[in-house]
Amino acid sequence: MIDFSAYGVHTPEVYAHKCPSCGKLFYPAPMICSDCGERRDPSGIIFKDWDTISLSGECTLLAWTRVYALPEGYEMQYLLFGIVEFPNGLRASGRLKVDQPDTGMKLNATVEIMDNSKGKEFDGFVFELMV
Amino acid sequence: MREVSIVGIGHTVFGNLSDFDLVDVMGFASGNALDDAGIREEREIIEQVFVANMGGGILNHQTGIASSLVSRMDMEPAMAELIENGPASGASAVKMGYMAIASGMVDVVMVTGGELMRTVTGWEGTDFVASLLHPEAEYNYGLTLPAYGGMFTRMYMERYGLTERDLGLVAVKDHQNGEKNPYAHVRVPCTIDAIHDNENAHVINNYIAEPLRMYGMCPVSDGAASLILCANDSPKMKYFTKEKPILISGIGSATDTHCVHNRKDPLILDAVRLAAERAYAMAELKPADISFAELHDAFVILELAISEEIGFFPRGKAAEAVRNGVTAIDGAKPVNTSGGLKSKGHPVGATGVSQVFELVKQLREQGEEGRQVKNPKHGMAVNFGGFGNNVVAIICSKGEE
Ligand SMILES: [Zn+2]
Repeated sequence: MIDFSAYGVHTPEVYAHKCPSCGKLFYPAPMICSDCGERRDPSGIIFKDWDTISLSGECTLLAWTRVYALPEGYEMQYLLFGIVEFPNGLRASGRLKVDQPDTGMKLNATVEIMDNSKGKEFDGFVFELMV
Repeated sequence: MREVSIVGIGHTVFGNLSDFDLVDVMGFASGNALDDAGIREEREIIEQVFVANMGGGILNHQTGIASSLVSRMDMEPAMAELIENGPASGASAVKMGYMAIASGMVDVVMVTGGELMRTVTGWEGTDFVASLLHPEAEYNYGLTLPAYGGMFTRMYMERYGLTERDLGLVAVKDHQNGEKNPYAHVRVPCTIDAIHDNENAHVINNYIAEPLRMYGMCPVSDGAASLILCANDSPKMKYFTKEKPILISGIGSATDTHCVHNRKDPLILDAVRLAAERAYAMAELKPADISFAELHDAFVILELAISEEIGFFPRGKAAEAVRNGVTAIDGAKPVNTSGGLKSKGHPVGATGVSQVFELVKQLREQGEEGRQVKNPKHGMAVNFGGFGNNVVAIICSKGEE
């Protein structure tokens, strides 16, 4: 994979957060560790912020839906959404780009820059077939 | 704790009220509750007002709604606060009313819930409710409550063998009740032939969030409901002789993870079960003691899942109960006698208050022809906030004869 960051181009990423005390992984980021009570300081001023781990790759589809009620301005007839589980046990919701989804199928989680319904850009998951 | 009873109930029609002002709609329901309680002239005895509303600030560009309602109803200087707990704001406000009285701080409370959602487009309304999801991990993607309703439905179908026809039967039953409820939003009859069995059924009953169809989802509604609460031991009870007081015998609520994906088993609605367990414990009742229930069927699957989670049926067995007519108005365990959110409508801030309104109406045996539960003793309401991350359960009881 080409490292676009060297060219000042934003590489889309979704991060899991790792508790510095006990190592438990979280997605999305909590403000306190559910296992050991360690607190997180997103500003990094009072406590050092937690380490992050890029989350993508192989995952399993747990649930999915095809939604037809879409915001005005969307060209497509429907959008697919799914919930997946990664091998490290973390789960995530995201967009699904698979024509015939099937619960339990193996997928590949990639991260793309996308727009939310207010037109704001964010880095989000797209779950696709394994290549 | 002091015992608290409901001594007045009021409701507006649910439907499209977008030409009206939010506080006027709430005020009309409140006035109906004052009249039902027989205290229109003595309304100064109300010491505290709780208003349930989720989106006045966003949908109607109105804030300070509780103070506004008090003034519009000429009820100053009653204390007033707004309670927001998403689509469970209504039952939360009833809970706050109960707590204010049980604590001994006040004797008489008015609880009014209302919402005007049809002032915006259908998508904007859905997007507004979706703002309760996790901003980064859920909402950003365009995920909505119907999307989670669809995913939950599919998981349930795959695990328990539930069919689309079963889901249709829930809607048919809800519409049978709602058709007879003068306050319901969608009072058209609905048959299993029209929405499922007929070869053209899927034209009118199209997919919204697979496998949830149009008739698996509640409409977007406007409306308000209101209750007057009084301490059983208060001298002010003397004002309330018009109707028999109905006891609030149990209240429980509980929260669950914000992100649906973070639940160990996303089909298990912990907050529903815990809210119900707390309400049963307080009322010293068991699921078998409950005569009928109002369950938050924003999606018909939720009526089934909630009825299992609160102990009415074993897991995966609620559909069988629906097929056998157990939850019909003349069944052993009538559910959503008002028509539920499905037929009556779901003005989010009003819903929990409206559910308790229905419990009182049934327990007073004032249900319309064909919509009255036979000899009810205890009714239960479950108001479901978020996708199950904040749930309130309330049990009302007829009390001694
Ligand atoms: Zn930890």
